[in-house]
Amino acid sequence: MKHVRRASLVSAIALVAAGLAVPAFAADLTIAMPANQEPASLDGHIDPYQSTWLLDSFVADPLVVLHPDGKYGPALATEWSSNEDGTEWTFKLRDDVTFQDGTPFNAAAVKANLERIAAPETASKQLKSDIGPFTSVEAVDDTTVKITYDTPWVTLLDAVRRTPLWSPAAIAEYGADFDKKLVGTGPFTLQEWVPNDHITFAKWADYGGWNSIMENPGPVALDTVTVNFIGEPAVLGSLVEYGDADIGFAIPAQYVEDYKDKDDFQFYSKGQSGTGLQMVMNTRKPPLSDIRVRKALNFAADQEAVNELLYDGAYTPSDGPLNNSHVCFWDGATAMYATDTEKAKALLDEAGWRDEDGDGMREAHGVEGVEDGTPLSIKYNILHHQEIGEALQAQFRPIGINLEVEQVPGPVQLDRVQNRTFDLMYERQRSPDPLILDQVWNSKWDEPGGWAWTGFKDATLDGYLDKLRSLPSVEARCEAAIEAQKIIMENALMLPTLSQPIFVAMRPEVKGFLPGAEGNWFFLQNTTVED
Amino acid sequence: MTRYLVHRLLQLVPVLLLISVIIFVMMHVLPGDPAQLILSGAEGGAAGPERLAELRAEMGLDDPLPVQYFRFLSGALVGDFGESIRFRVPVSDLLMDRFASTMTLAVAGLCWSMLIGVPLGMAAAVRQNGWIDAVAMTMSYLGAAMPVYWLGLLFILFFSFDLGWFPPAGGGSIRHLVLPSLTLGLISAGIVARLVRSSMIETLQEDYIRTGRAKGLGEAALLWRHGLKNALIPVVTMLGLQFGGMLAGAVVTETVFSRPGIGRLVVDAILSKDYPLVQGCVLFLAFIYLCVNLFVDVLYAWLDPRIRYEK
Repeated sequence: MKHVRRASLVSAIALVAAGLAVPAFAADLTIAMPANQEPASLDGHIDPYQSTWLLDSFVADPLVVLHPDGKYGPALATEWSSNEDGTEWTFKLRDDVTFQDGTPFNAAAVKANLERIAAPETASKQLKSDIGPFTSVEAVDDTTVKITYDTPWVTLLDAVRRTPLWSPAAIAEYGADFDKKLVGTGPFTLQEWVPNDHITFAKWADYGGWNSIMENPGPVALDTVTVNFIGEPAVLGSLVEYGDADIGFAIPAQYVEDYKDKDDFQFYSKGQSGTGLQMVMNTRKPPLSDIRVRKALNFAADQEAVNELLYDGAYTPSDGPLNNSHVCFWDGATAMYATDTEKAKALLDEAGWRDEDGDGMREAHGVEGVEDGTPLSIKYNILHHQEIGEALQAQFRPIGINLEVEQVPGPVQLDRVQNRTFDLMYERQRSPDPLILDQVWNSKWDEPGGWAWTGFKDATLDGYLDKLRSLPSVEARCEAAIEAQKIIMENALMLPTLSQPIFVAMRPEVKGFLPGAEGNWFFLQNTTVED
Repeated sequence: MTRYLVHRLLQLVPVLLLISVIIFVMMHVLPGDPAQLILSGAEGGAAGPERLAELRAEMGLDDPLPVQYFRFLSGALVGDFGESIRFRVPVSDLLMDRFASTMTLAVAGLCWSMLIGVPLGMAAAVRQNGWIDAVAMTMSYLGAAMPVYWLGLLFILFFSFDLGWFPPAGGGSIRHLVLPSLTLGLISAGIVARLVRSSMIETLQEDYIRTGRAKGLGEAALLWRHGLKNALIPVVTMLGLQFGGMLAGAVVTETVFSRPGIGRLVVDAILSKDYPLVQGCVLFLAFIYLCVNLFVDVLYAWLDPRIRYEK
């Protein structure tokens, strides 16, 4: 009897221990994000921000999903194809999907969404141009959609992976208030949006897991996801450390050391493909109208030292017009302007910028269009990351260049660009597609509202950039992009600085959080929080 | 009293008109074309000059400035400040959404300022030149000298992160209100304390206080019933100004504590050159400020009848 009681006790203890060993899952996840990532409108058809599309992806699955390995996988479309020249795209849709309001998801719904984005009254600020000027969207049958263009549109997949597909019935029902309601086919429903404060999403119990990113079909494990928008970087950087958030997304670089390689936290950083924090040069007026001065700036800068000094090396290098993590990065850019202050000095001397009065700063001597004695001052305008400008200022001063660093708001940036009153201007574009090169460097976009700011015009360069819109193969487009980057760097049209990765800190209890192919994207479909 | 009130109300009209002109001119003198901003989006894409010209015409930006101003003014008179360029909703809706949060913060800040400043000032006056006075005045100088931004971060670090008493960010509950309002209130409490102290010292030297003491009134009754009531009259006048300070401070406090409110709204609007929103916010804040000052003046006139008789 004694043995039986003892055995029972041991079993009970074992059972309790086993119970303890099985982790319990809390159903609520809190994410802290910088306040500047809060959308103006939650409707990604209208709002042009990556963060808007990311938040929309909680509520609406896209046609295709970009997996962390950079490959497209099925979501609401099971298969897709285009004709050879990329003017006709066909998507085959799932036939078992309903929207969160119970209405069916089908080809007519996709057609309604794409036509809504293209409609002028929607005033789409970005997706319209990304999806492109299609001539028709045809619902061939209930599960087949055909999109036709006059010109090749080879980047459609990159656009549709970000495009939320909303319930047409809900759009009609809610009208202008739709961005506060959001009805899609995704894992969560929009529960509450308090602007300047937080957004709460709640699990959609009928979600079927219609997305190849899901490990198990059916509803997600999390009950709610709350995204808090934090205005103060110091607070954002500390919330996870003190247990006030499960995930700190895009925390400031100076807080990386609090989380990196610490057992108490999970941490990762991921690059954002694009142009990096580049400074484009105004080639229309001195001193940067002279290629020798432009090259001298590139030789004088030591970006690695800037990275170490300011961010303990946490930022990533960006040596050319596409940053080093971009799939189409031209690696020849790294060696082309390896830091060489002597070469920089020689180029400036040759260009007529010499220090003859011995004050340490160079002045013009016989420079065309510049009065003799004019000091070599170059305006450096940025929207943020002023510290990089200041570090470069310190590097340039010993060789006699006065870098005038000024942080300006967006409207002032655009005003100076339009009036051509800048020298070095910050211009960052983020996308895994090399098409961004076309936006920034093709001289046909050198017009009001355009993004080609340098004033440099070259038919060969424009030719390569035009190909980025027409070549269907990624490899062929990368080849064109590389040729374009060579020309840009040979003419020293920009000063590359660094690339800003996204830093993410998490409590160790967060499991199954999946970073996207790009640093600014993630998936919560498989996420749980151990209690 | 009615005549006084009407007179003060009429004074508001030219002040508001002047503010509206200043705001309107400033927004149009600053660089940046809102039409181009809208078309430029945020992540790329280029719009042609035709579309730019079309949008400028749609937004009425091609009209002469006086025409644009009178359009703005006639709308503002009926509470229509136009549509926000960034949010694409009526500015009045955005203001109403955020107004309650900012007012709650400012009023709570004012309460803290009185709750801390008045006893501190009184203690300093009663124990003039003693150690309590020294401590109280040092605290008041510190409070007045500390930047809102820095004090807010200090509170978050100590009360939120270290002690875990209050949430470090967000709005919506009383717990969320404590730290931001205390931050605002503490800054203003220093000024209130100094004013109460000097006013109280002056009041305690009045003849009627001496008479009261001679008649055997207790020190507590003298201080609270007779001294404080009279000493607070100049403090009440200052409340209007303090409230203006609270509204201005809310711009920073709302950012540090990630609270929704008009302060954050106006900062975002300025950065994105959202003309209608900036104009609406500033005019609205100015109107609130003037109303509070009017209320304080009327209260002052009620407390001190000499004011309205002089009018």
